[in-house]
Amino acid sequence: MSENNYVELRHLEKHFKDFHASKDININISKGKLVALLGPSGSGKTTILRMIAGLETPDSGDIILDGKVVNNIPGSERGIGFVFQNYALFRYMTVYDNIAFGLRVKKTKESEIKERVSELLKLIGCEGLEKRYPSQLSGGQRQRVAFARALAPSPQLLLLDEPFAAIDAKVRVELRTWLREMISRLGITSIFVTHDQDEAIEVADEIIVTNQGRVEQKGTPRELYSRPATPFVAQFIGNSIQIKNYADFNCFEQRSPDSTAVLRPEFISVLKKNETQQFSTSADEGVVEDIIFRGSSIELRVRIHGVLLSASRSVNDTPVEVGEKVDVFVYRMYVIDGDTITLVDNDSLKQESVVI
Amino acid sequence: MGQKQKPGPFQWFLIILCAVFLCVMLILPLTYIIVTAFREGLGVYIKAITDEYALKAVTLTVQVTLIAVAVNTVFGICAAWCITKFSFHGKKIISTFIDLPVTVSPIIAGLIYILLYGRQSALYPILREYGIKVVFAIPGIVLATIFVTFPFISRELIPVLTAQGTDEEEAAALMGADAFTIFRKVTFPHIKWALLYGVVLCTARAMGEFGAVSVLSGHLRGKTNTMPLYVELLYQGYDFTGAFAISSLLVIMAVAVLALRSILEHKGGKPGDILK
Repeated sequence: MSENNYVELRHLEKHFKDFHASKDININISKGKLVALLGPSGSGKTTILRMIAGLETPDSGDIILDGKVVNNIPGSERGIGFVFQNYALFRYMTVYDNIAFGLRVKKTKESEIKERVSELLKLIGCEGLEKRYPSQLSGGQRQRVAFARALAPSPQLLLLDEPFAAIDAKVRVELRTWLREMISRLGITSIFVTHDQDEAIEVADEIIVTNQGRVEQKGTPRELYSRPATPFVAQFIGNSIQIKNYADFNCFEQRSPDSTAVLRPEFISVLKKNETQQFSTSADEGVVEDIIFRGSSIELRVRIHGVLLSASRSVNDTPVEVGEKVDVFVYRMYVIDGDTITLVDNDSLKQESVVI
Repeated sequence: MGQKQKPGPFQWFLIILCAVFLCVMLILPLTYIIVTAFREGLGVYIKAITDEYALKAVTLTVQVTLIAVAVNTVFGICAAWCITKFSFHGKKIISTFIDLPVTVSPIIAGLIYILLYGRQSALYPILREYGIKVVFAIPGIVLATIFVTFPFISRELIPVLTAQGTDEEEAAALMGADAFTIFRKVTFPHIKWALLYGVVLCTARAMGEFGAVSVLSGHLRGKTNTMPLYVELLYQGYDFTGAFAISSLLVIMAVAVLALRSILEHKGGKPGDILK
């Protein structure tokens, strides 16, 4: 198994004075994978990245790259490329000199440097910009140049710290796709840090969710969605809403006294009173409080049993109005009891399948 | 900011107030120095500034200034670099100590060195053994000048280095650059203008230092008299023309340094404004 792992972190611990930033971090990342470290701010994701890069030293535990323990090897000899959050381009050097820097430090021949830089400029689609300074580039171009600079010395592992944070929304979506394509074309093992779950889900092959210095779960985006391993992941991923009185809903029973439930918009369907559906008899009645037009769909806020749920309807459905009474059918919910999490289906779904 | 407005009555009042203040405090006294220096004619003026002791004082001042500025440049860069790029215990204390010479009276600075290197000090026999004379000699003057001017350069550099952060240095280090390369290629271009500005300020202050130097020099005419000390000497000897002539020289040197500063500012943008 472990031969396939390019990055292995074993029992990493890190304190910053009194702050416990990393708690027993164990991660395996296979060669060629594009992995996202996802978590709220302060969850320790950047610390993990910086420890892999050698910018921070763990208190204990091992960092293994390509089968070798690298704890005592300086970051510059670990074969990594690092893209900083604000790119950290050398502002007094041209684009060309920025990309060439790592090669010059390694005393590469100037003719080879020239070849490599023009190859990379072509790759990132920034030919003709070599004489510009970072301040003369757009946000997207800076990110591309930072990417090229990190790749210039041909690293085995690419680390990116919040690579899209400093870019405006429209360009960000474009760059995500670009980066994904670029990395899969190069086949380089990559880890990027983000707090934006859409970004992680769209770009990464695998996501590692961190919270309060711990790794909560590692899996493909689909796995995180369909099988959250911990209560935190269930609440963090998707547009989740946590409720206490889930037993008030039709066809759901209280599982244990202190348990709560997590509901997602995609678990809920909202029907007008005159619309019928297979399970409409087991639906609850709610009142629409707010309607938000999302372009591709319509988001509804529905008050039901005293809680405000969020659900969506297609733009092709008959419109609903604020204040309208609607039928709300909940297909399933995650029931959280302490540290355990169970996916509970609506009872009427089960009965239906029994009949069939 | 918006557009600049035409000044109204209140603005005119402020402008006139500033102008009057500048006249009374700066322009009148400076003009007076020049006028008095030339009162008895150009010949007397030239004679006063080409006097043997006057020339020695000018030479000494220039020498001391050059040494002090060189030492403080190296020290200032090191101190600013340490304080902004690393975190270590006692960093706050060092940062506070750097400001000490600005707050301590120069006379006290002079006395400290007299006590430390003078006859009554435990260090004195050792110094005498090696034939080093600090008090009432040029080394003392240099020490006093360094002490008084050492915050100027690091104080200019620290804000610039803080604003820059450490990302670029980290990036360079991750690519395998050594500390000297990082300094030369990444940090130095960034602090260049602030450093020059600091050097200018330091030079101006070093040339004019009186208090600490006065205590340490012993006022040996032609040996340990710097220009400010020589001016005082002439003045107390009722040689007003001589005193004002040397003063005018000091003023000219100071104005030249200021002009240099303006040229540098014009060329390199305002120091500290590099982030634009």
